[in-house]
Amino acid sequence: MIRIWAGRIAWIWIGCLVLIAITAPLLAPHNPRTPIGEPITAPGKMAVLGTDALGRDLLSRLIFGARYSFTSTLAATLITVGLGLSLSLLATTYGGIADRLLVGLANTGLAIPGLLLAMLLVAAVGPGLPTVILAVGLGGSPGFIRLSRSILNSYIHEGYVDAAKAMGAGHARIAIYHLIPNAFPQLLALSTTHYAWAFLGTTTLTFLGLAGDPALPEWGAMLDAGRTYLVQAPALSLLPGILISLTVLAIHQIGEGFQSS
Amino acid sequence: MSLKRCTIHALLSLLIGMILGSCSSADPIPATLVYGLTLAPSGLDPHLHASAELGIPLSSVYDMLIFRDDVTGQYVPGLAERWTISPDGREYTFYLRKDVIFHDGTPFNARAVQANIEYVLDPENHSQKALSMLGPVSSIRVEDEFQVVFELDDAYTPLLDSLSQVYLGMASPQALERWGPAEYQFHQVGTGPYQFVEYIPNDHLLLRRNPDYAWAPEIYDHQVASIEFINFLFFEMDATRAIALESRQVDIMGEIPFREAERLSSGDGFTLYPIAIPGQPMQFYFNLNREPTQDRRVREALSLGLDRAQLVRTVFGKRSPLARGPLSGVVFGDLLVDAPAEYDPETAANLLDQAGWVDDDGDGFREKDGQPLALTIIAPTWGGNTEAAQLMEVAWEALGARVDIVTAQGFGPLRELQSTGNYSVIGINFFGTDADLLRPSYRSDGFFNWSGIADIVLDRLLDSAATVIDGQSERDTQYREAIARIMDAYAVLPLRDYLNLVVARSNVKGLRFSIQGWFPYLIDLELSS
Amino acid sequence: MVPVPDRSRTQLLITIGRRLVEGLLTAWAAVSLTFFSLRLAAGDPTYNLLSQGLATAQQAEELRQALGLDAPLWLQYLRFLRDLMQGDLGLSLYTSRPVGTIIAEQFRFTIGLALAGLAFALLVGFTLGIAAAWWEPRLVGRSATFITNLSTSLPVAFTGILVLFLALHLSMLASLPGLNTGLILPAIVLGITSAGPIGRVVQASLKESLESPYILAAHARGLREDARMLWHAFRPALPPVISLTALEAAYLFSGTVVTETVFARPGLGRLLVKSILEGDYPIAQGLVVLAAIFYTFSQLSADLAAIMLDPRTRRSA
Repeated sequence: MIRIWAGRIAWIWIGCLVLIAITAPLLAPHNPRTPIGEPITAPGKMAVLGTDALGRDLLSRLIFGARYSFTSTLAATLITVGLGLSLSLLATTYGGIADRLLVGLANTGLAIPGLLLAMLLVAAVGPGLPTVILAVGLGGSPGFIRLSRSILNSYIHEGYVDAAKAMGAGHARIAIYHLIPNAFPQLLALSTTHYAWAFLGTTTLTFLGLAGDPALPEWGAMLDAGRTYLVQAPALSLLPGILISLTVLAIHQIGEGFQSS
Repeated sequence: MSLKRCTIHALLSLLIGMILGSCSSADPIPATLVYGLTLAPSGLDPHLHASAELGIPLSSVYDMLIFRDDVTGQYVPGLAERWTISPDGREYTFYLRKDVIFHDGTPFNARAVQANIEYVLDPENHSQKALSMLGPVSSIRVEDEFQVVFELDDAYTPLLDSLSQVYLGMASPQALERWGPAEYQFHQVGTGPYQFVEYIPNDHLLLRRNPDYAWAPEIYDHQVASIEFINFLFFEMDATRAIALESRQVDIMGEIPFREAERLSSGDGFTLYPIAIPGQPMQFYFNLNREPTQDRRVREALSLGLDRAQLVRTVFGKRSPLARGPLSGVVFGDLLVDAPAEYDPETAANLLDQAGWVDDDGDGFREKDGQPLALTIIAPTWGGNTEAAQLMEVAWEALGARVDIVTAQGFGPLRELQSTGNYSVIGINFFGTDADLLRPSYRSDGFFNWSGIADIVLDRLLDSAATVIDGQSERDTQYREAIARIMDAYAVLPLRDYLNLVVARSNVKGLRFSIQGWFPYLIDLELSS
Repeated sequence: MVPVPDRSRTQLLITIGRRLVEGLLTAWAAVSLTFFSLRLAAGDPTYNLLSQGLATAQQAEELRQALGLDAPLWLQYLRFLRDLMQGDLGLSLYTSRPVGTIIAEQFRFTIGLALAGLAFALLVGFTLGIAAAWWEPRLVGRSATFITNLSTSLPVAFTGILVLFLALHLSMLASLPGLNTGLILPAIVLGITSAGPIGRVVQASLKESLESPYILAAHARGLREDARMLWHAFRPALPPVISLTALEAAYLFSGTVVTETVFARPGLGRLLVKSILEGDYPIAQGLVVLAAIFYTFSQLSADLAAIMLDPRTRRSA
């Protein structure tokens, strides 16, 4: 019972956040980058949640933060899934050397924990939000490749695939018409879990200051910026942190829902 | 034994074990004062590296040839008992004390002075600050065991001020020789009231009282230090500094964010020492060699279009004084005549229009010849520069410019970004107690001329003011004129005079700072119970 | 069953040998990846020195020759590998101190934190996993499952700040001196994220073991449902847990990056962040290379442990 409700709450939460992210410019009462009053004020008429260290509206920054955090994570996940899935499909359908090569590549990537791999990429290119997105996208790829490959592999030896091959179906046909439709639920669950990891990954990298833009209204960056005022205005740090945690929790919940269906 | 009891026992013992383990790891050393530093500098040797932070511990490890009184600014004897300057200003003779011993037991004498200066002058050692402080010093001559002569290519008035600073403190030649420029910073040996014990980067720096210290200059209140150990810990992040004071991890720490400083000192447990730091104020240079800041009207517009008073109040609180020019009001107040113009966004907008930057398509951004008005701010991450940059971004976007902020995490990266030339404004400032500080920043070939200003008259003024031997008022007049030219060219955007908010626990007595502002006289510190 | 000891033992050795070779290859590939990505993107390090005025053009050229930067990239790569085997990780760009020395100085701080974190993770993970499996249908069990899942969702950064916040307010209220200066809080924060996966694996494998015919038979023979039964069920459940712990140990390094930042503790994590932000890439390179080697090694240990502890191999060997 609780499980069902947990799933529903998760969907509602994510749905609300996505809506907020899309309508951010309309929804936010103020520009997230412009000071609207005195710094570090308590919640009041002008600013429903108070202001941050430079006098900017906390609520507006959190709303835009939803947008930045979600879209950057989405972009990173698209990179991972796009790259990872194509490579896995190629390896699975062609088999043989291609497959072994891919496994070797993935293992190499996995030899470095995802976060460090992402940091390495940022080190090479320099701080910046696009770099962080690319880094998280690439950094998560080895793990995704390994798991998606094992999912796809479990279907490649099914009877209908062999039948299709016998009838002369090409690799692409097999992939598109047979592998993907059957593996879809599991791939979806995997991608969702990966989205959760990427969410933590991007917010951690921005927390460490690797996003470059100090005014960026993004939840991870706000978590970091608010630390100086932990005693005087704990909301500056705690609110973004709670939002990140709840969102990741919800995404995990949704992923588990896909898994069991 | 039931499973539950097993579990509870196990948990409890582990918890107790952890607590005990944590307690014993914080074993107190007798009579120690803990001082919090902020930056963990990449290099700790004052002869070679430039950070002001390193002087906080090290100015008590070294003695200087002369010292400067923090109230009157007068020079008093240090390791040199007396000195003479030749009429043309090219020879300085120092007569040294005979009773001084280095921490490693070797004697201090003229040869030691020679070894130190040559160490700084050696181009292989890449001295970042001490070398430029020596100016035209070309060689050192040992006249006698306790008599040494500095030979200069030219007269150089700031030399005495340079020699009174930790960057030209006297180190043991034996130690310099033994360790070499890369490793010496971990084994520093001076003659001061505290000895260098050890330095673990990012962790701590430990000093121990020098019980044999018998040559204290008159500016010190005490003749010898009273606290046995002083341990310096590093706290790079703002967030951790107030916490460290409150949790009694440190006894004294500077650069406390102003809200925390006020909160801490409002009770009985802590005392606030607001220390003004002389030198350049917190400032941003304009880039005079790149569009759009190449145009003086644009620079003037950007200056007028920024409400500096509000910026300073927001980021630094009500205490911090607004900067009045390219030098601070403390020590240099007499040289600053005209204050910069007040916030005037309308005139700013008009100036931009006049300069050809207009918003034709009504999108809120100005263009000229198809190019957008694009500004790049390079801001270092210390001292509130990134916060100031964010407010500058807001103000200039309101004027119709597109603004980008690039942050630099250390001096190295900052210098690297600067060398690309891709910036409209860049934040950097240096501290100091002699107005010659202006020269490396504003002379056309100055090493830190990051604005790119090239004004021959200014060059001549700065050169000439550096060679005036006696005639303080003549020097002052020249600097006033130089400053007027700098401000008129809008080469710099000065923001606030540096105020270091130092907070100490109330049982710390005798906390005093040198004229340079950053450096405490550790010898005078006492801990009352 | 006819025992054929010799062939099985040979099999075992072959498997171990193969894993070792795979491990070495992976480590080498990861190290190479690190080298090339940094070198190709970061460019010529002497340029940095030039632009800071720390060297004249003449000196920069001499330095390039001394560092071997005028050689073609593949030659530099080979020299890098050779130096690496001798333990030479290069010099810091800004202080010219050996990277190996810098890392060694910070190592002990991180190892202390990592071990404490691992201890905490094991403690909490085992507790949660055992509770979830033993008391599965009851509230205690379900709460344990929930907490296990929760811990993997919490970002280390947030956990750290939350804990810091609570500790600060508690210590201010109770005027406790320096509770947060010790190792406890950072270790807790570090351990929480790892406790989740450990708890899950403990739960899953213990559950499987408890439902195995082996245990059911023992129960039927009169073994009571208490600590002794748990102990008997435990031993076959251990192999996957040990494998996972070895893996988690490597992930702890990523965790120290954030934990050390939040609690402003010295260590390798902070060193990595600092070197990346400052652009001192020889240090960043050295750290990631070491992390890759360490991680491969721990993955290898995990695999080998699983092989060795598998009752099937043990019985026949």
